Amino acid sequence: MSDYLIELRQVSKAFALPRGGRFHALREVSLQIGAGEVFGLIGKSGAGKSTLLRLINLLERPDQGSVTVDGRVLTALSKRQLREARQHIGMIFQQFNLLQNASVFDNVAFPLRLHATREAQVTARVLECLDLVGLADKAHSYPARLSGGQQQRVAIARALATRPAVLLCDEPTSALDPGTTRALLDTLRRINRELGVTIVIVSHELSVLGAICDRVAVIEDGVIAEQFALAETGTVRKTALGRELAYHRHERAAIWQEQVHA
Amino acid sequence: MLDHAITLLPELWVALGQTLTMLGIGMLAAVLLGGPLGVLLFLVTEGQSLHNRPAALLLGWLVNTVRSFPFIILLVALVPFTRLVAGTSIGPLAASVPLSIAAVAYFARLVEQTLKEVPRGVIEAAHAMGASEWQIVARVLLVEARPGLVLAATVLSISFLSYSAVAGVVGGGGIGDLAIRYGYYRFETDVMVITVAVLLALVQTIQFAGTRIARQIDRR
Repeated sequence: MSDYLIELRQVSKAFALPRGGRFHALREVSLQIGAGEVFGLIGKSGAGKSTLLRLINLLERPDQGSVTVDGRVLTALSKRQLREARQHIGMIFQQFNLLQNASVFDNVAFPLRLHATREAQVTARVLECLDLVGLADKAHSYPARLSGGQQQRVAIARALATRPAVLLCDEPTSALDPGTTRALLDTLRRINRELGVTIVIVSHELSVLGAICDRVAVIEDGVIAEQFALAETGTVRKTALGRELAYHRHERAAIWQEQVHA
Repeated sequence: MLDHAITLLPELWVALGQTLTMLGIGMLAAVLLGGPLGVLLFLVTEGQSLHNRPAALLLGWLVNTVRSFPFIILLVALVPFTRLVAGTSIGPLAASVPLSIAAVAYFARLVEQTLKEVPRGVIEAAHAMGASEWQIVARVLLVEARPGLVLAATVLSISFLSYSAVAGVVGGGGIGDLAIRYGYYRFETDVMVITVAVLLALVQTIQFAGTRIARQIDRR
C-alpha cells in the first residue's frame, strides 16, 4: 500500500471530437497527493487540469490507468461500490451547482439523505456544517436569495456533510469577486487545517493557488510539465506558470505579515 | 333563447361530466405513463447517464409515430383496440382510450423537454455525491424541473380539452359533442354560444391555476 491518499497511475483520457478524430486531454499522467495536503492543478484552458480533477472521483473515467483514493482502487469498483466510495470524496464547482428549488438546509442534507441517515442525525450534522461555513442563520433561505460567495459556502457545507477525506475544488472562486475569493480561500484553508481534509484545487488564477497550496502541478498539453512544493524556492522552475507562481508566493507572505500585525 | 338554454341545462351538466371524465383519465394516463416515459427519453439521450442510442431512437420513433396522427385519425384507427380495452367504441370511457394514448406521447415529449432545462452541473454534483440514477430522478430532476412540469401539464390539459371535444364526433360525448349536435347540426346558436363559453371558462381556470401553482413552487 502506498502512503498517498490519492494516487493516479498512468491515466489517459481522450474525447471524441464532434467533427471526428480524438482529443487527447491527458496522456499517461501519474500523480500522488499525500493526506492533509492542499494540492493545486494549474494550466491554461484546455490543458487538461479539470479533466485530471474529475478523474479523481471518476466523473470522467480514464481510458487507461488506475485511480486510487484512500486505499480503494476506484477504477476497479462496481457502480454500487463507486457510489459508496464517492461519499468520502466531496466536490465543489465553479457554478456552485446547488438545487435551486431546495432550501439551504435541504441542499446540505442531500448527501446525507442519499445514504439513509436518520433524520435526527441529518439535522444535527447539517447545522454543524452550516456553522462551520458561517451560514447557520441561512438554513431556511433558498440559494437564489444568497450571494455567490454564500452559495459557494453552502456548496462547501454540502461537500463536507459526509465527512469526506478529500475535497475536490473545480475553479471554486472563478465566479466570485476578489474580496469574496479571499474569504472563501480562508475558509478552505481552515477546513484543511482544522479537519485535516485533503484539498485538490483547480484554478487558472495564480493568486488563488499561491495563496492556499502546499504543492502545485503545472499541466500543459495533457501532461504534468512540472510539480513542486511552493515553499521550496531554491529549485529552478521549468514552466512560465511555475515561475510566475513564485511571485504570488511572496504576495502570500506579505498578506500573512499583515494579518500578524493587525 | 334563455328559456331554451335552461331546458338544456341537465344535458349540459352531463356533457360537462363526460368532458371532465375524459380529461381526467387522459391526464392520469399522461402523468402515470407519459411522465416515466419522458424521464426515460431524457435519460437515454446523448450526454445523459443512461445514454443508449438504440433505446433513444426506438423511444423517439414510437412517440413521434403516435404524435404524427391527426387526433381524429388516431381516434378512428384505434377503434379495434378501444373495443378490446373498453368493450365499446362509443361513449366517454371509450374515447378516453385514444385520448390517453395521445396524451402519453404528448406528455412524454413535454417532460423530456422540461428536464433538459435542468443545469447539467446540478446533475453532475449529485453523481459526485454518490446518488443512484433513481435518486437523481426523484431528488434532482423532479425537484428542479417541478415548476416546468406543472406548466407542461397545464399545456397538456388545455390541448386535451379540445381533443376531447373532437372525440364528440365519433360519439364520445362531452361538451364538444353537445356543440356539434345542437349548435352545428340544428343551427341552435345559443347552444353553441353556451358550450363555447363553458370551454372558455374551463381553459381560463386551468391556465390560471397552473400558472399560479408553478409560480408558488419555483424558488429560482
